[in-house]
Order: sequence, then C-alpha cells, then structure tokens
Amino acid sequence: MSVLRIWEIVKRAETGEFIEENKYISKRFIPNLQKVVKKYGIKYNPQDVITSDDDLIDRVWQAAYEFFLETGVYHQDSHRIIKFSKQEVEEALFNTPSEYMVGEGSDLRRFGSRKPEDERRPFMLLSPDITYDEHDHFIACVAFLKEPTLDGLCAPILEEFMGRKIKSPTPSELGGCVMHAMSLREAARLVGRPGVWFVAVGTAESDMAQIGVSNDEWGVRHTDGRLSPIITEFMTSNSMLNKAVHYQINGNISGLLAGAIYGGYAGGPEGTAVLQTSYNILGLMMHFCQFTQNFPFHMLYGSNTGREMLWIVSTFSQAVAKNTHLVMTSNGFANAGPGTDMLFYETAAHAIASAVSGNNIWDIAPARNKVHNHGTPLECRFAAEVAHAVTKMKMKREDANKMVNKLLLKYEKDIPTASIGKPFQELYDMKELIPIPEYLGQYNKIKEEVTKMGIDFIY
Amino acid sequence: MEKRESLMQFIKDGDDSNALNLVKEMLKERSPKEIISDGTTVMKELGEKFEKFEIFLPDLMVAADTFMEIMKLLDPLLQKNEKKEKVKIVLATVKGDVHEIGKNVLGIVLKSNGYEIIDEGRDADPLDIIKAAETNNAFIIGLSALMTTTMPSQRELINILQDQGKRSKFKILVGGAPVSAEWASKIGADGYAEDAFKAVKLVKEIEEKIKRESRG
Repeated sequence: MSVLRIWEIVKRAETGEFIEENKYISKRFIPNLQKVVKKYGIKYNPQDVITSDDDLIDRVWQAAYEFFLETGVYHQDSHRIIKFSKQEVEEALFNTPSEYMVGEGSDLRRFGSRKPEDERRPFMLLSPDITYDEHDHFIACVAFLKEPTLDGLCAPILEEFMGRKIKSPTPSELGGCVMHAMSLREAARLVGRPGVWFVAVGTAESDMAQIGVSNDEWGVRHTDGRLSPIITEFMTSNSMLNKAVHYQINGNISGLLAGAIYGGYAGGPEGTAVLQTSYNILGLMMHFCQFTQNFPFHMLYGSNTGREMLWIVSTFSQAVAKNTHLVMTSNGFANAGPGTDMLFYETAAHAIASAVSGNNIWDIAPARNKVHNHGTPLECRFAAEVAHAVTKMKMKREDANKMVNKLLLKYEKDIPTASIGKPFQELYDMKELIPIPEYLGQYNKIKEEVTKMGIDFIY
Repeated sequence: MEKRESLMQFIKDGDDSNALNLVKEMLKERSPKEIISDGTTVMKELGEKFEKFEIFLPDLMVAADTFMEIMKLLDPLLQKNEKKEKVKIVLATVKGDVHEIGKNVLGIVLKSNGYEIIDEGRDADPLDIIKAAETNNAFIIGLSALMTTTMPSQRELINILQDQGKRSKFKILVGGAPVSAEWASKIGADGYAEDAFKAVKLVKEIEEKIKRESRG
C-alpha cells in the first residue's frame, strides 16, 4: 500500500461522516454485521469445526468485504467514520505482497500467505503473550529463543521495572520497554540467533512507548515486526494511528492486532467469523499493515480453543486464505495453564485448525492469557510440532475436522473450570533453561497419545 | 397472543414503536407498576439467557433500549410511593486505557438489572470519576483495566480517595482481563468480579450489606 495513503487516511479521519460512538455501534456496526450474516446465509455447524464447505468460506469472505465497505472504521477522537471505496480495496489487495523475508543473516525466514490445505510450512511465531517477573524476564527470553522450531518471537512481557509496577503512559512504561528490547537482543545473541525476527515490544501500551523504543542499535530495529492494535470493535484513534504511521515510516513490517469478541457486539459464531475476516482487510487499508495478527476470543473465557471458537478460527482463516494473498497469523488463547494435559490438547487443536485452514501460527497464550509467569516454551514447541506434522502429512480439512473433534472430546467439558497450571519457574530448570524431567515426561506422554490419534510427528 | 406476551416479544425484538403503542393500550387495563414488572421480568430472563450465551450482547442491547423507552413513558405515571430510586453506579475505564468494551458490557448487564449507570468512558481521570460519583450520589464505582500497565491507575484512584479522606464513602470494584482477586485485595478495593454477571451478583451483595448495616 502506498506510503502516500497514510496521509489520505489522516485526512479522512478529519473529514469523514460524523456520528456519536454509541450510535456507530448500535445503529451501524451491529445492524450491518447482522445484515451480511443473514444475506449470505452464514451458519455455524458445531460438528463441522473445520469446514470443507468452500461455498460457505466464499460467502464469509463476501460478507466481510461488504461489511467493511458499508460500515467504515470509527475514529474515536474525531468521531468520524473513515471509509474506503471498492476500487481502493481491490488496488490494495492486488498490490500488497504475498510474502516477506523477515529476520537477518542465518535467521532470515519466509513469512508469507498460505492456502487451506497448503503443503508449505507455516511460519512459527512463538509467544506466551504473558508477563513474567522482572528478574526472570531475560532468562525467559533465552528459554523461548532456544526453541528450534522458532521462526520469530513475540517475547515474554514485563509487568515491573526497577521493582515498581509499570504504568502507562509514564516514564516507567518507556523504561520497561527499553529493558524489554535490550533483553531480547542480548538473549538472541546469547543463543546464537542474533538476527532472529522479533515482533516487539509487548510491554508497550502507549504510542509514546512504542515509538520511543525504536532504535536500530539497542532497541526494536526497523527490520523487526511491530503490532498496530485496533480498538474493539472496528475503531481506531490518534494514538493507534500514531503507532501505525511510525511503523510505516520506520520501514517495519507491522501487523494489525485484532481480536473479534465472540458474544460481544459481533454476536454469535457467524458474526464473529465475518468480523475477524473483515479485520484482515481493515489492517491493510487502515493501519497500512503487512499482516494481521488474529485472535478472536470468547467474551467470558478469553480463550479461543472451544468448539465454536475453533470454528471461527478455521472459518476466518480459510476465508482470507482462499480469497486473498494476505499474510496473517492465528494466535491461540488456551483455557488451561502450563503443566496440565488440557493445555497440550488445546494447543494441538488450535494448531491444527490454524495450519490446515491456511494460517500461520502464533502460539500459545495459556491460562486465558491472564496469569503472571504462566507460560513456557514447551507448549509452544508442541504447537509448532503439531502444525508442521499436519502440514507435512498434507492433512485434508475433513481429516483435520475429525482430529479436532477427537481432541475437543478430551477437554471441552472442562473449559469453565480449567486449571491455571504451574508457573514457568516450577516447570523449567532455571539454570539450564530446559523443562524439568516430569514436565518433559508429560509432553512425551501427550505426544504419544496424539500420535495414536493419527498425527504423524516429523520427529 | 395476550398483550403481555406481545409486549415481551416487542421488547425482545427491540421494537420501540410497537412496544410503546401497546403500553399505551395496556394502560387502560393495567397499572404502570404492573407493566414495568412485566418488562423487568423480560429483562431478567434475557440477562439469564445472555449469561448462558443463548443470546448475545446485541440482543440484550436492543431489548434494554426498548425497555428504557417504556420506562420513560411509564415513570412519570407512577405514584410517588411506587417510585423506587435506582441505585447509581459510576463505571470507567481507567487513565491510560482505551479499551472499554468490557466496561460497556457490564454497563448493559447492570442496566438490564435495574441499575442506573453513569459512564465516565475510557482513559478517565481519577478526579473526574470521583467527581461524577459525588455529583450523582453514587456510592459504587467500577473501574476497568485491560492492560497490566494500566492496572496501577485503579490503585491510584483508591489512594486519592484515601488522601481526600473520602475512602469510606465509596465501594470500589475492579475488573478487566489481567485483574485478579489478589490484585483487588492488594490495592484495597472492595471487590473484584471476573465477568459482568459475577459483577452484578457482587453489586447486589454490596447493596444488601449496606441495607443491613443501615438497619443497624
């Protein structure tokens, strides 16, 4: 997308149609979404978690496209709607690259679009998406970077800086972000992967902190990935656009961070799948993004490994992958925490649903992404190994559906009461930064069980 | 179909126009208090369905809007002794945080349970939140934070209330994705709820507790 388009968006933010925010949601966003779901006859089938119905997939895409054009994106500061013409969207969809080379030197990797049932390996971005103790942050980064399946890392996050809780938008946030970025660089060098691709930094909430941490020497490099969040649902602001414009000017490969909420304004599974699909167009058009980081989630549980959530994950992934060459990732949010069998089952289900449906993998946030220190590299390794296995097996969607249904039987009844598991510090040898024998044993046991279910692991 | 059932259906459908026409007709046979009671029953039923995800937020929103329209029509017709003052609650997403959908969901669920909401929006200054509570005579303040880096703003408001000598005048409830009961206790909040439905139960408990205390 043209760099010049940035300033056109900024202009539209000042000149678009005026509407009050609550009216945008109740009179425009919700009715428009309900209208396209009805018009295109989109229906959730709980047994068809990974659907092979290409007609349904195309209808979801058409609904998402129409919804995006008709609704426009709300700018919270100017209270105006930013809209795009069909011609502009078509131009952007055609001209946006289908792949990028990310990382540097021996860590250079292809990060590209995929198709449903694609035989090309998915890009594997490992990420716990959770905060760690300040004194363990560096070694947590090392532990993740040691993972051989890692193509890129969105690292453990900091919650404290110099012993105090980081507060946004204050100097403590900026300090925490600088520390975060420095830890990443040092950790990458230490494990012999100095050019590895980072998407950073997750510690920053404000535009000030994200912009302040950009530095090719000690901070986030212009070759690293960045995330440009959307405000749920379908809203942006000056602060969000500041980030987006900075990333574009800086030359970063940036991704729209977007999670449609199941049960919220989007309604049920159908509306949520359409909305998540639409976010992939929004990222390209509105925030000048090179990829979209997708994490639809359940309003009550904050996870996306339940039956209806996996249908949403698979359906939006297929809709985007089949109809465009947009680059995207699928971010898993599990209910259970580390050290539980359930987390491994959930991880496998999310990885299968994403990989077979044409997405790349961004896994996995355990314990509903809310428990400090509760994330380890081992479940991320498992996600990568499952995703690579099903890709190498050339698994068809029909078989993936059977597999995911088998996995769901293992855990779906336990979703409301899922255990938060144990923290990283109890499951890893904190000197050697490897899983303790009991934890590794659990991983091997589940791997054997999943092998018997029909996953042919590569090693 | 009976008029009462028709009214319930119009509320569920968010059909303001037909609902208001029917209420005007019903007033010939029933008291405003009885009609409000019917509407409250519908909202309670819808709230329970939403909790089970049998319906979703947009369904509850349209019904709540229609119920509010009915209330606007009926409220002036109530006898003085029939008027029940609603409990007012101030809700806000704390300073530095722009994520307000969680707070908005809670607002809708609380409204459908009969509470009056004073919404201070997102990125809200603690002094503005306190002022809104004082001006509106609201003794419950709900503070939402979605990011770990904005949770400290919940503590900041509590500290300000303490420094102002006003802490005992308000009940402070905290929530949001990274927030926990442990955090609530650490910062001296009066309660934490994991989701909107648990928050309603918590508010009701606080209300009951205050009533018991005032009875002596």
